[in-house]
Parts: sequence; C-alpha cells; structure tokens
Amino acid sequence: MEHQYNGMKKMSEHNHSGMKNMGHEDHDHSAPVEDSEIRNWKKKLIGSWIFAIPVAVLMILMRFFGMELFNEQISITILLVLGFPVVFVFGFSTLKSGLRGLFTFYFNMDSLISLGTLIAYLTGILTFVMKINDYSGVAAMIMAIFVTGKYIEAKARGRATQEIKKLLELGAKNARVLRGKEEVEIPVSELKIGDIIIVKPGEKIPTDGVVVKGESAVDESMVTGESLPVDKTKDSNVIGATINQDGILYIKATKIGKDTFLSHIIELVEEAQGTKVPIQKLADKITSIFVPTILIVSVLTFLGWWYFNGELGRSLGVAISVLVIACPCALGLAVPIALTVGSGIGAKKGILIRKGEAIQTMKKVKIIVFDKTGTITKGKPEVRDVYSKVKENYLMEIAGSLEKLSEHPLSKAIVNKANLKKYKDVKGFKILRGRGVEGKIGKKIIVIGNSTLMNERKIKLNDLSEKIEEFENRGYTTVTVSENGKAIGIIGIADGVKEDSVKAISILNIQGYKTVMITGDNERTARTIAREVGIKEVIANVLPEDKAKKVEELQRFGMVAFVGDGINDAPALKQANVAIAMGTGTDIAIEAGDLVLARGSLMGVVAAISLSKATFSKIKQNLFWAFAYNVVAIPAAIAGILHPIIAEIAMAASSITVVMNANLLRKKRI
Amino acid sequence: MKKIKINIEGMDCASCATNVERSLKKVSGVKEVSVSLIGKKAFVEIDEKTDPEELKKAVARTGYKAISIE
Repeated sequence: MEHQYNGMKKMSEHNHSGMKNMGHEDHDHSAPVEDSEIRNWKKKLIGSWIFAIPVAVLMILMRFFGMELFNEQISITILLVLGFPVVFVFGFSTLKSGLRGLFTFYFNMDSLISLGTLIAYLTGILTFVMKINDYSGVAAMIMAIFVTGKYIEAKARGRATQEIKKLLELGAKNARVLRGKEEVEIPVSELKIGDIIIVKPGEKIPTDGVVVKGESAVDESMVTGESLPVDKTKDSNVIGATINQDGILYIKATKIGKDTFLSHIIELVEEAQGTKVPIQKLADKITSIFVPTILIVSVLTFLGWWYFNGELGRSLGVAISVLVIACPCALGLAVPIALTVGSGIGAKKGILIRKGEAIQTMKKVKIIVFDKTGTITKGKPEVRDVYSKVKENYLMEIAGSLEKLSEHPLSKAIVNKANLKKYKDVKGFKILRGRGVEGKIGKKIIVIGNSTLMNERKIKLNDLSEKIEEFENRGYTTVTVSENGKAIGIIGIADGVKEDSVKAISILNIQGYKTVMITGDNERTARTIAREVGIKEVIANVLPEDKAKKVEELQRFGMVAFVGDGINDAPALKQANVAIAMGTGTDIAIEAGDLVLARGSLMGVVAAISLSKATFSKIKQNLFWAFAYNVVAIPAAIAGILHPIIAEIAMAASSITVVMNANLLRKKRI
Repeated sequence: MKKIKINIEGMDCASCATNVERSLKKVSGVKEVSVSLIGKKAFVEIDEKTDPEELKKAVARTGYKAISIE
C-alpha cells in the first residue's frame, strides 16, 4: 500500500510537467486517510517488535527451557523495561482511547486490550512486593500482537475499499476551455456551467455535458460498465471522467462539481455502506453490549478462579485471556466489510447497491416484473407502418400537428415520421393520460389514441379493425387517428427490443424466476414482444398509475423485484420488494431504486442478482464465523485453557479473517 | 429535515461505530443515524434546529474527531 501510494505521487508529479498526460493519469493529490492510517500502524508495528522480540526470546528461554540467565528479579526488571515502550509508547493511543472509554461509558475494543495489558504489566511490578505470577512480558506481547493485527486489518480493509477509492480518483483534474477564441487550461474546480470544453483524443472528459461540435466514440466503461465505446455526435450527452477515443469533441458543461454523474455515484456508494442489512441486527445488538458484558464476565472469571483455585496470579492470567480474546470487531465488521466489497465490485460494473437490505431480500425474490418501454425495449419508438384511408400526407399532417404538443415517446415517434415544416394550428388541445390526445384543427375535432379511447368516444373502427389486429400481431403499438368521429387511419409504432434482453431473460428463466412483463400496450402487441424475448406472463393495458397495484397483486404469490427506468414507474418500484432502477446514460432515477443500474442493459439485472446473492452469502459466512469464534473462544478462555498470548493471536486472527474472507468475494465471477 | 455527512477520524473498531451512533442519536433533532465504520463517516438526518456543533461534540464525547460536516 505504501508502495502504491508513492507510485501515485510520482505519477501526479509527472503530470505537472506538461499537458501530454492530461486525462489518463490524473489523480487526486491528497493522500487518502486510509493510507495514513496504515502508515501509522506500520510505524507502531515496527517500533513495538523491536522491543517485543527480545521480550519473546527472554520469555521462551526462561519459561520453556527453564534457563536462568539472570536471577528472577533482574529478569522481570528487564521485561518491564523492554515492555514499557511497547505498552505505553506504541500502545499509547490504544490505552488512551480504551481508558477514556472506561470512564465515559463508551466502551470499545481498546478498553478490553488496555485493561488486559495494564493488569498484565502490573503483575510484573507486584512481584517486587508480593508473590505473584509475572505477566509483564505477556503485556508487551499482547500489545505488539494487537498492533500487528490492526496493521494487517487496516491493509485488508484498504483492499476492501479499493474500488471506491478508484472512483474518487477517476475524475479529471484539468479542463481545456474556450475563452473567447483562446484555449485556456483550468482546474476542473473552476469550471462553470455553460463553459465550452475541448476534449482531444485520449483525454478524459472533465465534466458532464452535451456535445456542441465534433464526433467521436467515448469509453464509458469506468462509470457504466458498458464495454463498447459509445458514439457521440452533436447533442449527445457525455459523462465526466469517461475517456474520449478518436475525435475532438467540443462540449458544453451542463453539470459541475457535486451535481455530476460521477459525484452522485460516489455519494451513493458511500451512503450505501452505512446502510444496514437486516441479518446484522443481532450482531449489532451484541456488539453494542459486548464490551461491558466481557468486562463483567472477566471479573466473574477472576473471582471464580480465585475462589476455587486460590492462586491470585493464575486467576489474573485467566481473566486477562478473557479480556483479550473477546472480539467484537469480527462481529461488527462481518456485515459492513462484505457489503463494502460487494458494492465496490458492483460500482465498477455499473451496479449500484443503494440499500443493504435489498441484497438480503433479493434471495427471497421469486418473481421479476419488467416494465416494457425503456427496460426490455430501447425506449425509442419509431413509426414502422401507416395505413390510411385518406391521403397519407394529410393523415400525418394532422397527427403530427397534435402530437407535437405532447411529450409522450409515441408522440415523438409520430412527429419524427411526419417531419412537418409547418404545423397546423391546434385549439383546445388535451392529453388523455394513457389513452391519447385530442384537439381541434379548424372546425374538425381530432382524436388520436388507442382502442380504449376510440371506444370511449364511440368512434367506429369498421374495416380498420382488421388492419389494427394485423399491426398488433406484428408487435406494433397501434394508434388510431379520427376526424369528426370517424377513424381515418392507423399508425403502427414499434420500439425495438434491446440487444441482450433475450439473453438476460432466458438466463433468469433458467434460474427459476417467474418473469413478467407489464405495459400500457394492448394485449396483442404486448404478447408479441413478450414472445420475442421469452417472457410467458404478460400484464397488458395497465395505466401507469395502476402498475403499483398489479405489483401488489403479484406479491401474493411471492416476493417481487421490479425492473424499470424509475421515471414513469416510481410507484411500482416503491411497491416492489426489490426495486431495480435502470439508467440510460446520464439519467438515472437514483432515488427510485434499491439497486441502480448505470447501464440500460438487462444483463445488468442478471449481474445485480448474482452479485447480491454472492454478497449475501459472504455476509452469512462472516457472521457465522464471527459468532462461532466468540462462542468457542470465550468459554475456552474462561476455562483457563488458553494462554493470554494465544488468546490475543486468536483475537487478531479472527477479525483479519473476516476482512480477508470478504475480499475473497472479488474472486467470484459476477 | 436534511441529510448530512460527517467525516470521522480515529474510528476503527466495530464497537466504536456503535458508540458514535449511540452518541449522535442523543443530540436533539437527530432523526436517523447510520455510521459507516469502513467509510469512516456518519450519515445523519437532522431537522433545521439541530446545531452542527452539537453533532461534533457528540462525536468527540465518544473519543473520536469529527473532521468535517457536509
């Protein structure tokens, strides 16, 4: 870690030398807190072992080989002198925090170690005035091992958070902006909204923006997990921290600082790590009363041993073992460390775990409901066919003029197809949610929409019904155009299925999930698309506001995960047991999802599910290990079968194991 | 009601995190607290009347230092 840090510093120094490396090698200059913590423990580790090794040698010679190098009193004096810096200098911060904990009743792990070492050290001093076993050497050993354990743990924890650290370092440092006619290089922090930024090939895009000039492909893999470069032309949105590939892009900054996509992701990941997984409730409860309980238990152990055994020194030794073997850390770390590694791995792949709870619930989910538009399909509907009883130009002219006034994706498809130079004047325009639009052009009443709307208005479809059926069988969403109560033509609109929707759904079907598609489309159109992607159950003709109700109905059969874009289906996402919100480019409805996918691919859902499961099983392993450790180790210490040094080694090992086991999650293919 | 983030220094064991959580919850106006031991941060939901200085003090009471509040 130390080495890595140095390497990083060198790189950023190198950066100052010129603009050549702008982009790729931009790094944050400030050393992360984590690294300074590791360095700190390392210093203490080296310092304490310089004194603890002679202590160990002396103890082995005296206790195991019975060698009497010096007389007893001199040996103990040497142990006390050598042990002093270990306990009181290198262990100072631990003692301080531990003792403060004892006095303020905010007990912590350090309280146990402090008491253990202080009592052990005290026995050495007491040997001068009374007959008692000497544990002064043990005091030094406990502290040295504790410090070592802390160092290893801090390093392993650093590894656990590496993905998040990488995210923090991802942003560019500098931006080249256009000021008047001149190109000026400024730090990213000085960017303003509206600045025109010039990004050359190979450089990092400094902030979120929209392309105003130029064409290029952009590698967005670092934020969305999308492995193929994405083409960008005028009006395309770009994400800060992604890398421009082969063309020059002129970008207008639209979001800066805390509002950027990258900042949101970082915030999300950080926040998620503080969320709780329900399974940890018991562990948390135990952790919070753990230290005081152990204090009481060790006092009782001491009294018990003294009463039955009568030997003061031996009784103290056993009590010390109890103090130092108890490890709330393994328990307290078990869940958050696994969640951290899991969410870090996810973040790298564009899967954001927002709530720890979701990964536990995910295990019980039986039904996965997909919203159709924008989730299974691309969300960019196009007009595929038009059937008109009047001149097609006329039909498209009135349809285009009305639909121009609506923001609905289907309306946009019609407007694009009509491609009008001049729109007709529309009076009394109204959007009929989930059904269509109406308005007046001149004296003619125009109603455009689905069959529900036509029925409502008693508009006869007559011979058009057959054509409508044909369109719907082809999977087109079919819109009828009527004039003065007479249907004059139909427009067939289709929204292409995303490339990997079929693959993703077939995997989920094989895994045994019941897949369901929900849509506002009519039954026939919906079925065609469902068949295309391999979904058997379809809930069609659902108004946006009724989606949540449908989810509720499905919940009678089992836990439901809902996959949607979070824009129209927020209530349904909320109703579901697990909400998976899908983003497309820069727009993610973050708030709507428990799991948020930065990329629009359904394969992300497959990955998110397998990541959730893998993380949750790690959590369970860790909890089991931490509980088992304490359940076995504490009684063993009370029984007096563990020497305090062995107890301390076991304690250090238990929390390190938990962290390392969590890191193993990385080995799993998601 | 708003959400704030407190960066905390020196918190490095599980019982430390529960202590900080317990202490922050006692500050008036604090609705929800979640402490991330690994991220060394506390996420606190507070109402308008809550004094950030009180939050810093609450962290200090447990023996750690609130470096910054965002």
